[in-house]
Amino acid sequence: MTPSRRTFNKLVLGAGLTAPVHFITPVRAQPKKGDELVVGIWGGAQERIVREHVEKPLVEKYGCKVSYVLGNTLERRARAYAERGRPSFDVIYLNIYESREALQAKVTQAPSKAVPQYEHLYEPAKIGGYGVAFNPCTIVYDGRKAKKPVTSWKDIWNDEWKGRVSWPEGLGTEGIAALMMTARTFGGTEKDFDMVIQKVKQLKPFAAIHSSQVQLYDMFDQGICDIGVEFASFTRKYAETKNPNIVIADPVEGQAISMNVGCITEGTRNQVLAEEWINLHLSEPCMLAFAREIYYSPTVRNITIPADLKGKVLAGDDIAKMVDFDWAYINANRAAWQRKIDREIAG
Amino acid sequence: MTGWKGPALSAPVTLWLLLAFAAPLAVVILLSLQAGGDPFASLIQPLSLAQFAEIAGDGFYFQVLNETILIGLATTAISAVLGYPLAYWLARMPVQWRALAFAVILIPLLTNVVVRSLGVMLLLSPDGLINSALRLVGLPTANRMLFTHGAVVVGLAQVFMPFMVIALYDTMQSTSPRIHEAAESLGAGPAVRFLTVDLPLSLPGLRSGTVIVFLMSTTAYVSATLLGGKKVMTIGMLVMQEAVANLNAPLASALAIVVTIAGLIFAGLCTWGLNRAMPWRAGKPGESLSLPGWFVALAEALGPTLARLLLAASIGLLLLPLCLVVVQSVNDVPLATAAGFRGFTWKWYEQVLFGGSYTASFLVSLQLAVVSVLVALVLATPAAFALARYPFAGRGALLAFWLLPLSLPQIVIGVGMLKLLQIYVAIPAFLGLVGIHVVVILPFVIALLTTSVQALDRAQEEAADSLGAGPIRRFLLVTLPALAPGLFAAGVIGFLMSFGEVTVTSFLTTARMTTLPVRIYSEATTLEPTAHAISALLIVATVLTLWLVGRVVRLDKLYAR
Repeated sequence: MTPSRRTFNKLVLGAGLTAPVHFITPVRAQPKKGDELVVGIWGGAQERIVREHVEKPLVEKYGCKVSYVLGNTLERRARAYAERGRPSFDVIYLNIYESREALQAKVTQAPSKAVPQYEHLYEPAKIGGYGVAFNPCTIVYDGRKAKKPVTSWKDIWNDEWKGRVSWPEGLGTEGIAALMMTARTFGGTEKDFDMVIQKVKQLKPFAAIHSSQVQLYDMFDQGICDIGVEFASFTRKYAETKNPNIVIADPVEGQAISMNVGCITEGTRNQVLAEEWINLHLSEPCMLAFAREIYYSPTVRNITIPADLKGKVLAGDDIAKMVDFDWAYINANRAAWQRKIDREIAG
Repeated sequence: MTGWKGPALSAPVTLWLLLAFAAPLAVVILLSLQAGGDPFASLIQPLSLAQFAEIAGDGFYFQVLNETILIGLATTAISAVLGYPLAYWLARMPVQWRALAFAVILIPLLTNVVVRSLGVMLLLSPDGLINSALRLVGLPTANRMLFTHGAVVVGLAQVFMPFMVIALYDTMQSTSPRIHEAAESLGAGPAVRFLTVDLPLSLPGLRSGTVIVFLMSTTAYVSATLLGGKKVMTIGMLVMQEAVANLNAPLASALAIVVTIAGLIFAGLCTWGLNRAMPWRAGKPGESLSLPGWFVALAEALGPTLARLLLAASIGLLLLPLCLVVVQSVNDVPLATAAGFRGFTWKWYEQVLFGGSYTASFLVSLQLAVVSVLVALVLATPAAFALARYPFAGRGALLAFWLLPLSLPQIVIGVGMLKLLQIYVAIPAFLGLVGIHVVVILPFVIALLTTSVQALDRAQEEAADSLGAGPIRRFLLVTLPALAPGLFAAGVIGFLMSFGEVTVTSFLTTARMTTLPVRIYSEATTLEPTAHAISALLIVATVLTLWLVGRVVRLDKLYAR
């Protein structure tokens, strides 16, 4: 049957009107065998755990392929921005402020109930994407070099640590945590960045500026520095397995919130696989594997923390005890702050 | 009439460079003239000098530029001081050993910059080779060598000194032995002969080497990032930070242009200064040089020993980091940069060869290098014929344009191409990478092929003509087979350069398309020594490839003008 001219025109009009829908709603095509999901994540234990507890069940279910891009968040974030709307990543892991910024810039999608575990997320983990791990930052130091235990963020400024501090680089997760806790400790807020810079400058010369936790641990091993600001989780693992002299401080001002966030990119060709990936990451086996192996604290309520992990990872009311910050303000000022850091702290 | 042949044969390479080199450069200029702010802004914006005003009005940028220039000067000076004895040694090497000796600079040159920087880290670490040696002889150790300006300079000298050696060697090897005999017959010892004959005659090489090492070292960011430990800041690092971390392409572009202009001013001054030191090249008599007697005696007494020490230092600087990379590849340490041998293991090789996690990146690098080399050869072959056989008006200017990618910071091309690919989303990422890689290797491939075309025996082509072969038949059956060794050598060098490229590539890779060197760089601070295992395999592959090339052409001719 040949469609009449009128029918044809209606079809064209209908197609034209509905076409934009494809641009504003994720493509929900069912996964096919051989589809490739590209995941940008940190290397080491994180890659190993998701390979075992996320990739394996996903591949078993769909026969898909998973490719990883490892490294720090800066590069994958820059790539995701450069590829907005036609991403080569399907899932990228970002830190708190990067995830909120990427969502605002329409580089990544807002979290939704399409991921069943979404409903069980703690409230802070529902912003900017799907929080997959709480991972607070605090002071870590070589106990042999301390005259007395570190109990406050102010202790970093004690003379005994002069020239032995490794400061976290720029405005990465640990960098932000160190700067914002400096503000809180000395009676300021996010809005007192100049005061923060002046306080941090007092710590110079730094023994080093570290850009990753493994770099800091290596510097502890080689005696380049004695104190720094890092994730409590990784440091606990490092202290237990490699360097028992390292102490994780629990300062009176608290530990700074930090969170890994799983984000699905806008325009991903693998929407269903990406959602399933996130859901598997938030599942009990994966959450507990992270908790057991690197002491990452779960971000969902519907899991039971085993007795041997209690006190080592956060759960329930502990979540609210982490010191949180005004991330919108931080994001709005990041570029200006980076410039101040380049001028006053780095180098 | 063959007047059209030169321009026609030059057209393909010129067109490619216009698209893949001049276009990104134009984009960078346009970006630098944007007020900035929105990372998603279109390229065409009202022109503004805001970025340059910010740079000019902020002492910090001046300070970093100053620091970058000082690092560049120090790197150039060390490269010259260590490069002279090495170039001299190579130029005086008996011909049968020269190819082997040339591997001393070719192997590091063709090993990727990330791996070489990681090797320098293992040299300078508190538990590194230097401190281990000091401990062994009971001397106090120097625990603060890493993450300093000195470390950055050493790393940059390791990376860029081969270019200085090549430039010096190029002029030194053309010095007639009769000139040496004349100097000796007039009573000059080795040191005086070097100071009064070899040094002045090598000044053109020093000029080229100085310009290229300075330009490259002032725009480098990989070695500065890894060896400066963020305590050292260079303009290259700022460009990368603005482009990648702050997503501020306009400021990154303006900074890239500022450092390029600073580099070109230096190149101009250096050329002017060294040309003044060589009046004989302009047909004017040189000033006579008389050395004080005490200086001659001192130079002759200490010169040979000093030269040997400097030669040992230069070979050590070039090869020791690579040896440490190989040793680290069987070291049972948790981190790629952790110095000190803590036990033997094959596990990093097992992970590389059987784990498969680097296979995809390796294949991308392989495909990219193969395609880039093929394209470069197709473009460079007619260009080489144009240069060697069909002179035409404007050929000098065109050649300067073809070689421009060598002297302009690659980081600039990277920023421009990134923006172009963002705008023209239909261009596949792979094509963008090929475009840039061809630009990077073209100057070398053109130089090599031009030398090969000049060396062709035209009598054979004339014989083919006289036997009735047409131009195509003659080219395919006579010219091409005769050119095969040159094509092979140019292809291999181009392949190795493309395979190891990081500086520009890191701007353009995507999640589904990451090259092996970029992957190693992006994971450098959290890497396990699998990176060293891959690198050791690549070093062995490079050595074998050079051995293979050495059987076809003399390796020292690979970089000859």
